[in-house]
Amino acid sequence: MSLSYKPVKSLLQTGTSGTSRWLSYIGLCVGILLLFCSIQMLVNIQRLLKGNVIRKGGYDYISILKKIPLDTAIQIEGTYFYQKDIDELKKQPFIADVAPLVTTQFQVEILVPGVFTTPTSLYLESLRPDFIDTVPSDFIWHPGNDTIPLIISSQFFEVFNALARSNGFYQITPELASTITAKVICYGDSDSSVTFNARWSAFSDRINTVLVPEEFMRWANQTFAGKQASHYSRLYIKTKNADDEELTNYLAKKNYRVNKDKNKFGGAKPVLEGIFSGLAVFGLLIVVLALMLFSFYLQLVIAKSRESLQLLITMGYSPKWLGKNLSKRFIPTYILIILIALAFTELMQWAFHTQIMFSRPELSSFVDWKVVAAAITLLVLSVITNHQLVKRLLRRLN
Amino acid sequence: MKIEIRDLLPSFFPETRKSSSEIWGSQLVFEKGEYIKIVAPSGSGKTSFMHFLYGLRPDYDGSIYYNQENIRDYSAEDFAKKRSNSISLVLQDLRLFPEQTVFENIEIKRQLNPFHPKQKITEMCERLGIAERLHAKCKNCSYGEQQRVAIIRALMQPYDFLLLDEPFSHLDEKNSQLAMQLMDEESKARGAAIIFADLERIDYFPQTRLFHL
Repeated sequence: MSLSYKPVKSLLQTGTSGTSRWLSYIGLCVGILLLFCSIQMLVNIQRLLKGNVIRKGGYDYISILKKIPLDTAIQIEGTYFYQKDIDELKKQPFIADVAPLVTTQFQVEILVPGVFTTPTSLYLESLRPDFIDTVPSDFIWHPGNDTIPLIISSQFFEVFNALARSNGFYQITPELASTITAKVICYGDSDSSVTFNARWSAFSDRINTVLVPEEFMRWANQTFAGKQASHYSRLYIKTKNADDEELTNYLAKKNYRVNKDKNKFGGAKPVLEGIFSGLAVFGLLIVVLALMLFSFYLQLVIAKSRESLQLLITMGYSPKWLGKNLSKRFIPTYILIILIALAFTELMQWAFHTQIMFSRPELSSFVDWKVVAAAITLLVLSVITNHQLVKRLLRRLN
Repeated sequence: MKIEIRDLLPSFFPETRKSSSEIWGSQLVFEKGEYIKIVAPSGSGKTSFMHFLYGLRPDYDGSIYYNQENIRDYSAEDFAKKRSNSISLVLQDLRLFPEQTVFENIEIKRQLNPFHPKQKITEMCERLGIAERLHAKCKNCSYGEQQRVAIIRALMQPYDFLLLDEPFSHLDEKNSQLAMQLMDEESKARGAAIIFADLERIDYFPQTRLFHL
């Protein structure tokens, strides 16, 4: 027959203060909630700040430029990447692949009804499709096609709309834009020109340019300029982790800079991280304070039950068994407190994702695994410290 | 199990006490099945002796052995094991849980290492005349009733030694005899020894050895 803790439990409840116990429970719950929310927000910030990094198939894609020193600003050649730069980048173990952003080597003009009513100079670029986050199925071109599909930056689209307003034309939505056909005029060496129809294939938040299919770029450069591009102003890097320290150090050493034009939170990053790190530390302090309060409560229980515990030990009860059962008694409470805090964190994350961030794809409505890991760690730590404290207090009774 | 004492003396007693005592300063072995009577006036250290034997206090010189093991080397867990298996005690100051009922006070000891089924509690309480108090809180019982509760509680476990420290101090002759009869039966059933410390000799305790403290 196993020894029952039930008759012993009733001996330890006599005359203990419920107020201090509830205060410590509430304190613990608030502290844990603050801690979990701070961790979750730090994760959210990290994910949002990666917004300028395209992540696909487990890889990050970032674009880099050469830094332009003021005194050499006029030396244009110094700002370009060449094939040897690409080859060197490819050799680095932290870089999986490199692709250049190829620019037109000839003059291009565009006509957009309602926006650019007279031909306006433009540049086109192309990038290997595996480096583009989402490639529409119709983003293809073959020699002989008179329509070029374009992927255009959302920011350019906003500029188009601003121009349309100033020209007294109606503004267009992305849906409407896909029905508008623009004209792209490509000029050759001998003032000859070919006009293509152009349609908006997609809008991109991340690629800050006007993209055409690679096939068109190769054909057009050869046809209109008689040569392929030999240098590039921007390169795209495929890497396992865009935040990798080795990569960052390497880029800094080579005087390359990561293109952060699209980083909407760029300037606020250290501030936001600082605020939530501070909140996490504050939450941790509250957790420590609540655990201390709880340990005082535990000491009070044991002090008030001192005579009963001493008598039980005199009768032959094992101090180890008593300690184990006494500390085990609080485990369901700890689990409940941590689960409540976790549930509130989940609720807040869901509200943050769906209501405030309008279900941005970078974020998730569910709490991150780091928060769950923190919850498990906290539970294990609480159980261990509780057990050690009870053991120490009981040893004093012997 | 056997208990051996060697040159035992409370730390707070002068060495001269050894010459006037048959216990202090002696080398004695108590075996299973023996009925040991220790007679001593107040203040001669009866309760201290019982506490030393049970391992409640370490403030003595000399040594106490359980089966050749010096109990000074015992941990709290070792004592817990012995107290639930081999040695039981009726303390002079009773030490009951005042907020618990008579039944609960006995059951909490019984469940630790049950020698008897639960029904035996009622049976023993009936024999000692406290059956009607089974569900009364101990704080509401008289000293005599509490003393009988403490005796029954000590009989709920298996033991080789039953230590009695003035167990009848609040009982009349008739109730003392009933209690002694019960303890005698229970100890014989276990083949156990009784070490009984009291102010004077008691005729109805079938002692095999007598010591003056």
